[in-house]
Amino acid sequence: MIEVRDVIKKFDGFAALDTATLTVPKGSVYGLVGPNGAGKSTLIRHLTGIYRQDAGSLEIDGQSVWENAELKARIAAIPDDWYFFLQATIRDMMRFYKGFYPNFSTERYEKLKEVFAIDEKRQIRRLSKGMQKQVAFWLALSAMPDYLILDEPVDGLDPVMRRQVWSLMMGDVSERGTTVLVSSHNLRELEDVCDHVGIMDHGKVLLERSLVQLQDNMVKLQVVFKDGMNEVPADLPVLHASKLGRIHTLIMRMNAEEATARVAAYDPMLIDAVPLTLEEIFIYELGGADYAVKDIVL
Amino acid sequence: MISLNYRDSRPIYEQIKDGFKKLIATGAIGADEKLPSVRALATQLSINPNTIQRAYAELEGEGYTYSVPGKGSFAAGRGEADQARRAELAEKFRVLAGELLSLGVSREELAALLKEVKV
Repeated sequence: MIEVRDVIKKFDGFAALDTATLTVPKGSVYGLVGPNGAGKSTLIRHLTGIYRQDAGSLEIDGQSVWENAELKARIAAIPDDWYFFLQATIRDMMRFYKGFYPNFSTERYEKLKEVFAIDEKRQIRRLSKGMQKQVAFWLALSAMPDYLILDEPVDGLDPVMRRQVWSLMMGDVSERGTTVLVSSHNLRELEDVCDHVGIMDHGKVLLERSLVQLQDNMVKLQVVFKDGMNEVPADLPVLHASKLGRIHTLIMRMNAEEATARVAAYDPMLIDAVPLTLEEIFIYELGGADYAVKDIVL
Repeated sequence: MISLNYRDSRPIYEQIKDGFKKLIATGAIGADEKLPSVRALATQLSINPNTIQRAYAELEGEGYTYSVPGKGSFAAGRGEADQARRAELAEKFRVLAGELLSLGVSREELAALLKEVKV
């Protein structure tokens, strides 16, 4: 379990993390989302022991991460700019990883060689960006970590490879109970692989829920009211309303049954509840935090 | 055996549920046949194992499958599965018939329509 409590981190007076709090249950796949500059990468760098917080606590399995080599040997991370030694071949880096991770499985490394199909004698710096990411996954998965911490991990991977690495990780989650924390902007993809989601903005975690709760907590209704009723009744707790022709699209912060019942009281001609995608939830949740697509014509 | 449609507005666990319901109802998965393990399906579809677990739990709750601890999920006998499917389709039929009635189709016409349907 990863527990982050009220962490504050300031860079030259700017609070990149401002009382960030989150909990990642063991064996879950946690998607960390948020607009650019929300503090996702900063938080991840704390969890991998690169930054030290100014205040608050970060614990993995009840232990502080900072300078805790024993704990870090159980965490594999893929940052957005993965580090490798300039002259190193894949095999060299494998040896380096092996020195760090006592659980490193050479057997797995050999098996994954077939999956990634890159010559292990090649210098990593001569590989393309996407192939370097593949190598990062190759080594991280061979390290047999209990925690995988990934910062926008599948950027630069082709569609087949994306699925391939997710498939490998999902196998580890179900087999070994690996806990995965992943930051990404690809909400479509997170929706498939995550069971928990945290939304960050301005250095805070605005909300974190299981995906089931999140989708159960907000609903999109398409409603056609009876003749003469052109406005949405004022006492409906509507988060967002738009209208196209006679069809009102209402976003409400409650589950589908409750929302349908509330709207049904006005005896509309049509009510249709549609589940929201993670992308829509993201947009509407942050809409309240003053963040939305602006209609600007250039 | 199960394919996901990413443009479908239904949540993934429901797509998985419906996929298995169809396979069981058509007999593609026979009675007492084992469903793929959570792990196998998670890696095959690249989706979260908990999502699959949830779909399996609901399938069991609705009588389509039963689980044997330590062995996995198995398709229920045709009797149970058919009964669950029948109740579900009857509900859908009710909705559709209601919509037809509200469109001005008379009950007689509806009955005639029913007679036209071939098995």
